[in-house]
Amino acid sequence: MVRVKSRYLLCEVNVSESRDLLLLDDRAVAGAVRSAVARMHGDYGAALCSIRLSVKYLNVHNGMVFLRFPKSCYQLLWSALPFITNIESRGQQIPCFLNCLHVGGTIRTCQKFLIRYNTQQLQRILPKCKNAAEKDQVCQEILNCLPTRGSKPTYEGGSEFEDERE
Amino acid sequence: MRDRKMKNQPASVQYSSPSAAAGSSSQNGRQEAKDSGWQRNPPPRTGWVRGNQRDGGGGYMKEMPKYITAGAFARSRAAEVKAMLKAVTKRTGSNHVFQALPKHMRRRAMSHNTKRLPRRLRDVASKMREKSLQAGSKKKKELPKSKSRKARRRHGNLLLEFNRRQRKNIWLETHIWHAKRFHMVKKWGYRLGDRPTCKCYRPCYRAMSSHCLLLDISYYCCIELQGEEDTLLTALSQLTSKETGPTFAAALCLSGCRQGSVTVYRAGQYPSHPLGPVTFLWRPRAEGSASRQLWIWAHPALKQDLLPELQRVCECFEAVVPPVIPVATPAESASTLESEPKPEVSPKAKVTPGGKRKRSRVDAGGPPAKKILGDGTRSPDTPVTWKSSSTGIVINDLTMEMVRYRLVGPQSHSVLTESLEAATDCDAGQSQASSLWWPQHCRDERKMNLHQQQAEVFKTLKGIYSSGEVPPGTVLGLTVDDPRLTLPAKKVKAMPSVNQSQEADEEKRRQLMLRGVPQLCSQSCLWEQSVRDNVTENKISEQELNRMRSELLIPGSRLSPTPLQGRIPILLVHQPGKQVGNDMSSWGAGWDLLLPKGWGMAFWVPLVYRGVRIAGLHMSLKRSQNQGAPHFPHDYPDCPAGVRFQEEQEAELLDKFKRRPPAKRTNYIKHGCLAPFRCPWQQLVEEWELLTRQRGDGLARSTTKPKEEEMTPQPDHTGTKPQSVFTVIRSRKSLRLLSAWCRLPTSRGQRPGRGGGAPPLQQSAADAFLASHRMSVAWVRLSLLSKGKPELHAMVCAPTPEDLKLLGKRDAGTCPQEPPHRDDFKSKTKRRKKGSKKGAGPLQSSDYPGTEASEPFVYAEPDLVLGVWPDPLPSITSHCSRVTLGWITEGDFSLSAGCGEALGFVSVGGLLNTLLSQPEEHRGKVLLRNPSSLHYRFAQINIEV
Repeated sequence: MVRVKSRYLLCEVNVSESRDLLLLDDRAVAGAVRSAVARMHGDYGAALCSIRLSVKYLNVHNGMVFLRFPKSCYQLLWSALPFITNIESRGQQIPCFLNCLHVGGTIRTCQKFLIRYNTQQLQRILPKCKNAAEKDQVCQEILNCLPTRGSKPTYEGGSEFEDERE
Repeated sequence: MRDRKMKNQPASVQYSSPSAAAGSSSQNGRQEAKDSGWQRNPPPRTGWVRGNQRDGGGGYMKEMPKYITAGAFARSRAAEVKAMLKAVTKRTGSNHVFQALPKHMRRRAMSHNTKRLPRRLRDVASKMREKSLQAGSKKKKELPKSKSRKARRRHGNLLLEFNRRQRKNIWLETHIWHAKRFHMVKKWGYRLGDRPTCKCYRPCYRAMSSHCLLLDISYYCCIELQGEEDTLLTALSQLTSKETGPTFAAALCLSGCRQGSVTVYRAGQYPSHPLGPVTFLWRPRAEGSASRQLWIWAHPALKQDLLPELQRVCECFEAVVPPVIPVATPAESASTLESEPKPEVSPKAKVTPGGKRKRSRVDAGGPPAKKILGDGTRSPDTPVTWKSSSTGIVINDLTMEMVRYRLVGPQSHSVLTESLEAATDCDAGQSQASSLWWPQHCRDERKMNLHQQQAEVFKTLKGIYSSGEVPPGTVLGLTVDDPRLTLPAKKVKAMPSVNQSQEADEEKRRQLMLRGVPQLCSQSCLWEQSVRDNVTENKISEQELNRMRSELLIPGSRLSPTPLQGRIPILLVHQPGKQVGNDMSSWGAGWDLLLPKGWGMAFWVPLVYRGVRIAGLHMSLKRSQNQGAPHFPHDYPDCPAGVRFQEEQEAELLDKFKRRPPAKRTNYIKHGCLAPFRCPWQQLVEEWELLTRQRGDGLARSTTKPKEEEMTPQPDHTGTKPQSVFTVIRSRKSLRLLSAWCRLPTSRGQRPGRGGGAPPLQQSAADAFLASHRMSVAWVRLSLLSKGKPELHAMVCAPTPEDLKLLGKRDAGTCPQEPPHRDDFKSKTKRRKKGSKKGAGPLQSSDYPGTEASEPFVYAEPDLVLGVWPDPLPSITSHCSRVTLGWITEGDFSLSAGCGEALGFVSVGGLLNTLLSQPEEHRGKVLLRNPSSLHYRFAQINIEV
């Protein structure tokens, strides 16, 4: 109803060497976005970046990033994302590009999309496995990540509540 | 809150970086090797932790994996899915269950009534509700669960609770009665009723002046002295002086038929170091014995000073440790008065003299809690008896051993005669060995004769018109029946029964009014500790009495025969009313009723049922004010107790003053009032001393007021002068002289015989008087000539000749005014407040308002209160446009006089100076100004002896 509205971009950081991915951290990503926007849109863009831009989530193992932009100007900011060619992190330049997978109004929708996307990826990887051990492992993971209790929302309470109180 | 909201949100998965330590927003350091299997679930507590959480200190390079395999890829995806799933499925934020429902399914008050929720959610909801209830009542749960009201109010438990509460403050026997009706205050270690909760100021005054007012003054401490008459008198004579009036040795008092009052000083130090006023009562002489018994009644604030002083003069330093086993106390063994057979103390009774004396119950199966009678705060082994081997005097502290009620008012004797009845003697036939004292008493013919005489006097008392007619201080001993037996069914107002019946009665009445009670009749069994204890122990409980009443054949009739236990020895002591001054003579006269302890409520309720008004401390203060008598400890600023009282009062008033916001307070500096909360008597007399000395040096011999410059004392003079403490004049001769000088020559009612002896007011006489009373203040009474109500700590000032001309015009509305003063401290206080925030040093001021005095004045005082002068006060006398003579200690609109009346002290030097400068017809006129007002009011000064 009445709230500050944002757009959340689910992006994938693509790197040539997967080891480099592990060097990333959220500040580096945010800095890269900021500098790209400033380069593309000048001071105006830099100012827009200072409003509410943030990196909400980063997974260094597969390069998933949640970026938050203000809703009023997300398209402008988004337009600068393709111009990121490398990210400087921990003193190293990591050549990469960002691939936007999803644009959502809440983090929740992004998370939902990410779940679907990941499961798809897992299913896609299964036939490409080279040996039986790998295949087993992937199968196991697919089974693991199936929703255990259905998709119904559960409530915190009970024991968790007590833990927190202590 | 944020933590709870974010606890299900997946944290970023990344390796910690050393560079990110400074204020990273959402860094979550995690140093786990990929092989070790990484976090499936981010742990709920660590999500979105601020700051860096390195444990290894940047060892991530080692642990970084070298390559990536399909398995690792899959694992990372799966883990992420899991984390996201958790985030998506779990509700975040508020833990209200109904928020999970879509809006159209929500209902009003769902959290109140779980039935309004869909059934699938009810379990969770009810669980949540319990949780929140517990969380809400967490603070209360800390307290031990109190018992139910019914259990708390059960008799035994209630007694236990009362006993616990009595450990800190002493309760009077009427405490519960008072606590239901009065505002109670803690004073002098007691819990006392201050004023009733109902509005009854005027009814109480009316009761005092026309009927009867009842006060419980059991908190007064009684100290008993036993010994040879001569040794006692020589010891006590050190404490008093004949100049202040009759001493302990006054013949009437010594015989035992009058109560006396004296002002006690430290041994041999009259006129300095006074202790305070006491009343005393000698036991009438018993035949063939030189040993005497003396009760000294003192205010509890005075007791802590008086008792050591008494011990010193009597050389009583051997404390007698009270024995626990019931044996005769040393006090009794020392007294040789027990020629008569002593009634046996019942073996059941547990007597610990002086200490916690507990009423033993007849039935052993009674509740273990026993009612505390007497002093509950004192431990039972505190010595209360001291004896001397050299002088043979025994001092006994009888605090709370007796109950003392004060009846004030002209009809107090009617109340007494109506509620009390002289004891009926028991039959000789009941001669079984009784442990009660009355049957044994009855056997003695001589004692019964005495009892008959006392009863006769008591009957005569009924016939007199007003309590004030009896000679002041008369003592009547009596034995009465239990007054509960004659309790009227309804409250009635005791009225006097004056009937001119017989000539013989008339003659007796006249005898009583002129001579008082015959000496023999002042004897009472209350003086004997054994009888007191016996009576206290054998009191019939209220419950028992009611049971006996219920067994009567005719309901509501009188219990007969009267139970043997119900005979109580009492003492009636007359209290003089207004003795000084010309008008309202003997206002406030009354009787004091002395009872053995334990019988307090038994007498209280019957007295209340005779239509008396009950008052507390506040009204007793007003009584003494109306009566024109100094009230202890308010009007004894030179006594240690008075000094303590002043300090307490100052703290209390200042606290009250500070409670208001500064803009709503009186600014006393602007009103030119230096000491609104406490009167600096010492400084006042020192300044006046200096002034008179300067004048004596031959400076100004004019009758006009000295100039301001002369009046300003030099502080270095006062500093070098040897410190002598100010005193209040109590010498009768000096007071009489002062009184004669203050009086208008045409004053009505002035007896020529008295005033004639005084020398006329002249400079030489005044100087001679001053020489003997250098550092003293005099207690005066002031009555306002025009409107106005004097308040506490109002200033008494000397009028200028112009003011007196104003008075001569008889123009009622005009009275002199004080020009407003400037408050130079205001800005400083403000600045200081600001400065204190910055940590600035002390401020300096070079001048002070009001006086154009010379010396620079530095104040580095810690607490500056806006509107009150900081501590080193400037010259008091010359601060205002009129010279200050003294202050008021009590002031109010007097209902008896119909104008404002005040009691206060003035400096003797200032008073004489003023009197000398005034013309004859305006002799004794002064100005009064309230601390919060700029108006001066004219008042007439009176010194009454």
